[in-house]
Amino acid sequence: MNIDPFFLWVESTALSQWVTGSPSVAFGFPGILTLHAIGMGVAAGLATALDLRIFGVARGIPLIEFRRFLPILWAGFWLNAVSGVLLLIGYPTKALTNPVFYLKLTFIFWAMAILVRIDRRVVAGLAGDPARERTLRRMAAVSLVCWIGAIFAGRFLAYTYSRLTALG
Amino acid sequence: MNPHALQVWLVHAIREHSPVVDLMRTAWAWPIAESFHFLGLCLLIGCVGTFDLRLLGVMRRVPIATVHKLIPFGLLGFAINIVSGSLFLLTEPDQYIYNPSFHFKLLFLAIAGTNASLFYVTSFRRVFTDPSPRLDAPRHAKIIAAISLCAWIGVITAGRLLTFYRPINCTTTDEVLLTCYPD
Repeated sequence: MNIDPFFLWVESTALSQWVTGSPSVAFGFPGILTLHAIGMGVAAGLATALDLRIFGVARGIPLIEFRRFLPILWAGFWLNAVSGVLLLIGYPTKALTNPVFYLKLTFIFWAMAILVRIDRRVVAGLAGDPARERTLRRMAAVSLVCWIGAIFAGRFLAYTYSRLTALG
Repeated sequence: MNPHALQVWLVHAIREHSPVVDLMRTAWAWPIAESFHFLGLCLLIGCVGTFDLRLLGVMRRVPIATVHKLIPFGLLGFAINIVSGSLFLLTEPDQYIYNPSFHFKLLFLAIAGTNASLFYVTSFRRVFTDPSPRLDAPRHAKIIAAISLCAWIGVITAGRLLTFYRPINCTTTDEVLLTCYPD
């Protein structure tokens, strides 16, 4: 199935042309990319700090207390969901014809899914006994791998795309 | 030496002596270094940001000294970024030394560094050797934490915008620092 007409349509919308064509730095492509980098620092950064805590760094911080950072982590995630969708509307062909893009989304999906599962265990008070601590540590390790994978995949998007626009 | 001459000298000195150009021009070296730069950013923001937010009052029941144990990992992120960032600078010196966004990035880094030093000079003893675990940070420590968060967001912003302020050939050179190719 040829989905080029869909890409052409998205790229013809006013929103797409604003993302790619706005001469403004703050309210245009550079500003959206910047928000995407800040959101990454917040979401992946706080998730990393939580993973480090599960591995035993700063173990004096009760995990239940660390939950107070989760709303901030989610804010970073949603900032990146919105800025990411805007970037996607700007360059749909570039992203959606590149397998690395789907790899990035898969990593992020699993990173957030694991975060939710870790949080459920913490709320349920399952942290504490040794066998369950081990499970928690395994989850934190997978979480770290997913974030590292998402960041590498995201950065490699700029170097691995085969088509920039449906016309190009 | 005036700033312009210093910039020109730096670019030429780096070009002549850079040990990493051959490495960085191999396939995928640049994107791999960039990925590490982003990983370091996350480690730094995650650990330093958590500590700053604790000073500002999040997770108030946990002693500040306990949360401070994350800071070495923030410093690890910073070290990763000094190394990966140097690889970029030592490969394409003119793209950074004549780039106004890079000048702002260095400015924000200097603010973040000075600010962090101020914390250890002014608040460290009061926060860490207090016999009763201090639950609320002193006001000046909160101000330092707020400045820290803003400065690091400034560093990320100026860093991400580097690519949109790449220098072009100079037409005038009357600014404090060169933001274009002088030759």
